[in-house]
Amino acid sequence: MKPNIWRRFYYWLDERIQFEDLIRFAAKKYVPVHSHSLWYYFGGVTLFLFIIQVVTGILLLLYYKGNEDLAFESIRYIMTEVEFGWLIRSIHSWSANLMILAAFIHMFSVFFTKAYRKPREITWLTGMVMLFLALGFGFSGYLLPWNELAFFATKVGTDIVGVIPLIGKPIQIFLRGGEDVTGATLSRFFGFHVAILPGIFTIFLFIHLLLVQRQGMSLPMEIVPEKAMKTMPFFPNFLLRDLLLWLIVLNILAILAVLYPWELGVKADPFAPAPAGIKPEWYFMFMFQTLKYIPAHIWIFDGEVVGVLLFIIAGVLWTLIPFWDKKTARGEKNLLINYLGLFCILYIILLTILGYLS
Amino acid sequence: MNKFKILDSLIKLIFYLTLVIGMFFENNLAQNTTDFCLKCHKANGDKAAVMFTKDIHYEMGVSCADCHGGDQSKSNMGEAMSEKNNFIGVPKGNRISELCSQCHSDEYQNLINSVHGKLTIKGDQIITQCITCHGIHNILRKEDKNSNVNALNVAKICAGCHSNIAYIKKYNPELPTDQYEKYLTSKHGILNSKKDPKAASCVSCHGSHEIRNVNDVKSKVYASNLPEVCSVCHSDSQYMKDYKIPTDQYDKYIGSVHGIALLKKGDLAAPSCNDCHGNHGAAPPGVESISKVCGICHALNAELFAKSPHKKAFDTLNKPECETCHGNHEIIVGTDQLIGNTKGTICYQCHNENQNVEGFIVAGKMRAILDSLVKLEETTVKLITDAEQKGMEVSEAKFKLRDIRQAKLETRTIIHAFNFDTFEKTSNNALSLIYDVKSLGEKAVNEYYFRRWGLLAATAIISVLAITLFIYIKKLEKKSNGK
Amino acid sequence: MNQSRRSFLKYILGGSLIAFIGAVLYPVIAFLKPPKSKSVEISSIKVCKVNDLPNDSGLIFKFGNKPGILVRTPKGDFRAFDATCTHLDCTVQYKKDMGVIWCACHNGKYDLNGRNISGPPPRPLIPFKVIVQGDEIFVSKQL
Repeated sequence: MKPNIWRRFYYWLDERIQFEDLIRFAAKKYVPVHSHSLWYYFGGVTLFLFIIQVVTGILLLLYYKGNEDLAFESIRYIMTEVEFGWLIRSIHSWSANLMILAAFIHMFSVFFTKAYRKPREITWLTGMVMLFLALGFGFSGYLLPWNELAFFATKVGTDIVGVIPLIGKPIQIFLRGGEDVTGATLSRFFGFHVAILPGIFTIFLFIHLLLVQRQGMSLPMEIVPEKAMKTMPFFPNFLLRDLLLWLIVLNILAILAVLYPWELGVKADPFAPAPAGIKPEWYFMFMFQTLKYIPAHIWIFDGEVVGVLLFIIAGVLWTLIPFWDKKTARGEKNLLINYLGLFCILYIILLTILGYLS
Repeated sequence: MNKFKILDSLIKLIFYLTLVIGMFFENNLAQNTTDFCLKCHKANGDKAAVMFTKDIHYEMGVSCADCHGGDQSKSNMGEAMSEKNNFIGVPKGNRISELCSQCHSDEYQNLINSVHGKLTIKGDQIITQCITCHGIHNILRKEDKNSNVNALNVAKICAGCHSNIAYIKKYNPELPTDQYEKYLTSKHGILNSKKDPKAASCVSCHGSHEIRNVNDVKSKVYASNLPEVCSVCHSDSQYMKDYKIPTDQYDKYIGSVHGIALLKKGDLAAPSCNDCHGNHGAAPPGVESISKVCGICHALNAELFAKSPHKKAFDTLNKPECETCHGNHEIIVGTDQLIGNTKGTICYQCHNENQNVEGFIVAGKMRAILDSLVKLEETTVKLITDAEQKGMEVSEAKFKLRDIRQAKLETRTIIHAFNFDTFEKTSNNALSLIYDVKSLGEKAVNEYYFRRWGLLAATAIISVLAITLFIYIKKLEKKSNGK
Repeated sequence: MNQSRRSFLKYILGGSLIAFIGAVLYPVIAFLKPPKSKSVEISSIKVCKVNDLPNDSGLIFKFGNKPGILVRTPKGDFRAFDATCTHLDCTVQYKKDMGVIWCACHNGKYDLNGRNISGPPPRPLIPFKVIVQGDEIFVSKQL
């Protein structure tokens, strides 16, 4: 009896939505199976963590107050008075970090497999934009608890923005909502974090996913496509594998969130002296540390300005790689790109470690 | 040895010779230039001139003209006191002190920076000129028994203004005017009246030219500066030898709860020497008045004590009230170790197995309750810290820890009633508060374990789901491969 | 045989899926349930209604993680202070018979302007601002 009800419900829906097309589309979709298939999953993991961010973020929004006087207390309230509030907040914080990590892995895997090459330039571009937006999510969300560490990290972070010649100062004032980091900054960051960034992010995410579905998975250049290549149907095999990995990630997330709850720290006091050992979030650490090593003056330029400009140039070049990597575009092997990527990874890891050791 | 003696005699000889020759010449010079001011004014019987011949300034060679202007070498009156010769007559207002400052510049600077130099009469002259205290034409060394500012006379000089109610009201309405009367009743004043120059007078504590308002941090009698001022004499065993009193008060005081509060923590409300001994009426408080003195601040303790059976007992036995248990200059933070029925406790000195047995029993019971309170509080604090370190939010419980602290303080205070029933009532209140907080702490720790078990359940569910999904996928793939 | 094993697998899969959904939804629904205590408002809080506090009386309230005291003077004015005694951090109370704010620990007394007038307290109480809106009394930290 039971299957009948389900079946009838399915037909009812099918008449209206026409699943057949979708199923036909999904059935045609195959995911290549080869030695680098593992990397295909990280985009999905990032997406899953983003969904968790959206869900937990909306939940937190019910109790959070984006106001200088109340921000800290409202989060303490969430952590103590609201049932499972501690869990939701802890998951939101952990998931944010894991999402950035997953996004980085996804980005580097695409980079090394040269999946950015024609015809997937737009996919790469939207992905890079989303990575920057994710960093923006991290930076703006970090301030929201309005605790001491976040307050000073934001101060330092926006100070760095301010050193960019010409446009730096206006951007800094725009970000801070004034000359200094104050309650106005908090309101602004709150707005960025829950309205502006999610809005923009959703558009890019839509384009990104649409293109992935339209174009299918890219094959690494080393693997020569053969007629009899091993493939896996996207639906249900790949999707179920995706779900399996999501479950594992969720499990890790739950364990991290419960066993290592995210701390609240002490409330920010704008008039207190900066505490020792202000550190940005780990994914900004390599840039922060680099700026520390750059001498105060390089020739006639200010060291910090040079550093910040170099990072901006590097970021732009990295983002535009599909357009200047001609050799790959022609279908030739370009080892230079591999070495460049390897250098970047090693550089980021080394500087991050140095940042935490110092 | 011999050589040195000869050299010594030689030096002495030269010294005396120079002296005699010098005196001879000086006499000659003096004879050559007669001081006509003094000559005429003395002849006229001018009191000032007569007095001046005994003045220290005359002795040191200061002439009339040095202050009054004019030319003392002219015998003609008109010429000697002419404007041409800068004759100024009787100096008025600030001019007086300015004239003194020509030689006594340091004293003058101190004076104009002092409270006496800051207050003015009608805005054009400082309230106290040099002559106000030192006198005119009869100024003597302060060591001289007849000097205005001699240790034995100076109090009367100060009292000239400071005991004048109408005058003081005009210039500093909030200043009392009974200092001199109080001084006369103090140990210092009594000794001073008996012509003991070593006893403190006004200037010993307040300073002389540099006197500042008591609220001025540079004042010698500013609350936190005072103990050191007292210690100048009272910690000097040589100086205090004849008075047969201890000289360790200052050393004891600086280690006491009061000394630390005042001198280290800068709490100006903490008592300095004068707050217990009085300032102008400084004297040690008597046996019965001690609880009144301590009660100025420790009012509740004093009130409870006054109604307690110990009040009468202590007074009859001639035991100083608070001091018997807490000491005087060396008072440290009271601990529970003071009370009890074992050797080493204070109660045991009077209450033991053989005498005053009732108190012996009660002291034992009180101590037991106090100990259990402290122990319970300790375990509660530990519980809450434990919960906090486990990552639990216990700000509510920590907030309530304040109440426990307060209840404990109240319990310790109620001891001073020396009545077991009232004590028990207060201590029971404290105990019930502690149990409340303890249950909060326990709840937090339980919540911690709930989270652990919840995680275990959740991960178990997710794992089972993941494993079955994995098996399902494998099956699915096997099937499709089979195809 | 194979058939029953497959359906067994399906049952486990379905069962654990339902348990999983429950495990996710339970905390979420619990989170959505409004907590018993009102949400935080720390810079200013509503203490009580004007009529709740008769003339010549006092009330201790919780202000953040510290106690506050709201006093209504015999003439009907409202005053609010940090209720932490400046001597040894006990909580002060309004003492009607003496007309002062009083600390039970060592008999410290403050007048109704918060000034320490007798006993051991070294400093006055920290004042808060009282705002009366309609019939409700709000207390905020003084700026």
